[in-house]
Order: sequence, then structure tokens, then C-alpha cells
Amino acid sequence: MPATALLSAVVESSVNKLLQLDPDSQARLAQLQGARLIAFIDPLPQGVMLVFSEQIDVLMVPESFDTIVAQLGSQDCCIKTSLQTLPELKNTNMLTRLIQQNKLQVEGELAVAQKVSGLFQQLDIDVEEIVAGYTNDIIAHQSMRVAERIGQHAERVFANLATITGNALVEEKQLAAHRLAVMHFSDQVNSIRDDVAKLEARLQKLEQQ
Amino acid sequence: MSDNQTNTSIDKTPTTHFGFQQVEKNQKASMVANVFDSVAAKYDVMNDLMSMGVHRLWKRYTIDCSGVRNGQKVLDIAGGTGDLTAKFSRLVGPKGRVTLADINLSMLKVGRDKLRDRGLVGNIDYVQADAEALPFPDNHFDVVTMAFGLRNVTEKQNALNSIYRVLKPGGRLLVLEFSKPASAQLSKIYDMYSFHILPKMGQLVANDAESYQYLAESIRMHPDQETLKGMFETAGFEQCDYQNLTGGIVALHRGYKF
Ligand SMILES: C[S@@+](CC[C@H](N)C(=O)[O-])C[C@H]1O[C@@H](n2cnc3c(N)ncnc32)[C@H](O)[C@@H]1O
Repeated sequence: MPATALLSAVVESSVNKLLQLDPDSQARLAQLQGARLIAFIDPLPQGVMLVFSEQIDVLMVPESFDTIVAQLGSQDCCIKTSLQTLPELKNTNMLTRLIQQNKLQVEGELAVAQKVSGLFQQLDIDVEEIVAGYTNDIIAHQSMRVAERIGQHAERVFANLATITGNALVEEKQLAAHRLAVMHFSDQVNSIRDDVAKLEARLQKLEQQ
Repeated sequence: MSDNQTNTSIDKTPTTHFGFQQVEKNQKASMVANVFDSVAAKYDVMNDLMSMGVHRLWKRYTIDCSGVRNGQKVLDIAGGTGDLTAKFSRLVGPKGRVTLADINLSMLKVGRDKLRDRGLVGNIDYVQADAEALPFPDNHFDVVTMAFGLRNVTEKQNALNSIYRVLKPGGRLLVLEFSKPASAQLSKIYDMYSFHILPKMGQLVANDAESYQYLAESIRMHPDQETLKGMFETAGFEQCDYQNLTGGIVALHRGYKF
């Protein structure tokens, strides 16, 4: 026990903190009032249940997938997937294909899973404003510059890494990463690039003020 | 350890234990009431301090095992300051109902104020009640929980019988309670902690060493895992089992009414 209980406690408090940082998330959370999403993610030993009210409660599920499916209510959705497939669920248009490929099993209200996905993907957290709340605008502005530099550096590291890995793979074909892993990796690089672009835009806005 | 909590002394007055003391049976409830009157205000902070926060994980695990769902009726007996009730209130939603029941008004008031401050209103009832004689109809609740309450009850078997009566068929009871550590080594460390450190902490933080001495003693006098399981069965519960948490310092007992 306490290990899984600790895990759910940490996840619960992080997820709720994250939502608090985006005032718009409350409206999306309200659409999920009373819903439950239960996810069995291979190889995690137990299912994880998210219960939506004015906050999200995270519970570990000692029962099996079949037992839970037998008790699903009208606002419940239960999914079974694997850790590898998880990043692909970000794109809700892919769900049907994943189901056809047996990488995802969905029982109950699919709309719940889609709304949960939207709840997190549409998170818009104004880091600068939060930092400014703790410090002041000038320090926040400086911190953003540092973050921007770190972002650029990370992007260079990723790009180099990609070249090195690519070269290595020419010689060691058997090490070639799974296509999905490569896609996930490029997604991450793109997301860093996007973050940097956002930071740059904010910086410019601040400088104009 | 057997649950020989009731003895009859030479002058034929039935007695029971209050910590390590033998007291007249009809006095125990009021002595327990004094303990919780005295600790109510500082109860939450002491709980965190004494267990180093682990009580939250034990309670979380209890909730994981409760299977509570939207629309259900839950009784949190000996619920005190309402840690379990808070979570149940969100799990059952507006169509469900949670009853926070406790024999002690001071604890109930601290619990009610805490939950209201957190915005939990609308589906919680606060009821002063003795676990031995629950004032609820037969077959009423889907789930009953009792966390760290049973050891304070004078006649534990009466409490289990009474809970059995108010549970719906198909319902389950979960009792989270201090128990017997599985290893002798852990037992030694735990004894040292509870009899030497705990009362000192109680003195320092709550200015009340006696109550925390009672806490340590009452834990030792509580039936061990197997005895309690047997008492569940005597009350009529089926598929009874228990799980040791943190090496058996605490155990979660579960039983169903079919
Ligand atoms: C250690 S506290 C536990 C409170 C809460 N359940 C928790 O886990 O934090 C024990 C509680 O049991 C209550 N209690 C003691 N004897 C009782 C009885 N016979 N019936 C109902 N509650 C009782 C006390 O008043 C006290 O609030």
C-alpha cells in the first residue's frame, strides 16, 4: 500500500495545482462534474480512477478491468491501454484507429475521455504572471529570459542528439527506435520549439510595454 | 490477543479496560469522551505529527478499497474531524449522501467547521451517535467506514452488530484501526515510540500527555488482526479479510453483508 497511495496523493495534488493555475480550466472541469474516468495502463499494477467534481480526486483501483466495466454508470468511461500508447491519446482523432489496432479498449462514455483530454490539452498557464506574483515584473521578465535561453539550449541539444542518434542508427540498424518513439520524440522537440516561440512573443510584448 | 474487554470484579461490577486501567464499564464512554473533548481542537495537527503524515495514506487506501460511487449512501462512524467524509462527499456527488457520525460533539463540531470551510455542503449529515446503538434504519447504507474509532468503543461486538444491521445487503464495512505489528523488531521500536515519544509530543503540542498515553495504551488493548476478523464473522459479515499496512501497525479489515 502506501506506495500506491503516495503515488495517487502526489498525482492528485499536482493535477489540481495545475488546474488552479489556469482560471479557464474551471469551465472545462464543470462539464465533467460527476463523471469518472478509469484507466488501466499496462504495466501499472492497478487501475487509476479520476473522479470529477469541483476538483479531481485520484484513486487507485484494486478491482479488475472487467469488474469495473460491469459497474459503469452513465457518466463513466473506462479505458485500457499501455504506457507506450498513452502519448498517442493526446490526439483524439486517432482514438478510432487505436481501438482498431487493439491498442486501446474503451468502455462506457467516450465523451468523458475526450473531455478529460481537452481539459489538460487546453491548459494555458501564464508562467510569467505566476512568477510575477511571487517576485515582481522585472524579476519575472529576467526569469523568462533565462528560461528562453535554457529552451534554446535544450533545442540545440535535442537537435544534436537527433543527428548523433541518426548517424548511429545507420550503422546499428537493429537499435532503430520504434516509429512511435521517434514520433513522440519529435513531438517533444516541437513542443519545446513552440514553448520557446511563445516565450519570445511574450518577451517582445513586455519589451514594448 | 483475545478481546476479553469485559470482566466482572469481586464486587460484581462489570469492568472493562480504559487503556491499561480497569474501569467500570458504564464509565468508559464518558472517559473516552473526556479524551476526545480534550484533543478535539488539536486533533488534526497531532495526527499529522504523530504519524508523520502517514495516516493520510492509510485513509487514502481505505477510500480506494471502499468502492464508493456516485449516488451512494455512506456512513463514516466515529468520523471525528471528517477526513474520510470529505472525500466521500465528492465521490457520492449531489445525488448521494454521507453521514458523519460520532459520539463526541466537540469532534463533530471541529469536523463540521472544517468541511464547511472547504465548501463541502449539501450532501453531508452530522449526527451524534454511539456506534453501539446506531440511530439509523435497517439496510440503509451502501458503505460504512470506521477509522481509528473501534478501539475506543466499550463493547466492540455490539458496534459491529449495529453496523451490520444498518448496512444494505451487498454493502461493505471497512475498519481501519491500529493493530499488531507483524515483526518483533518493529513491535519494539513502535512500543518505544508510543510509550515514550508520543506522550511527550502530546504534552508539548497539545499540553495533554495523559490523552496520548491513553492512545498508546488503547492500541495495545485492541484485538489483534485475527481476533477482529473473528468478531466481524460473529456479527454476520462474509468474505472477511484484512490487510496489514505499514508492517501491521495498522490493519484494514473488510467484510460484506450479503
Ligand atoms: C481517533 S478518533 C478518529 C477520528 C477519525 N475517524 C479519523 O480517522 O481521523 C476516534 C473517534 O471515535 C469517536 N468515538 C469513540 N467512541 C465512540 C462510539 N462509541 N461511537 C461513536 N464514536 C466514538 C471519538 O469521539 C473520536 O472522534
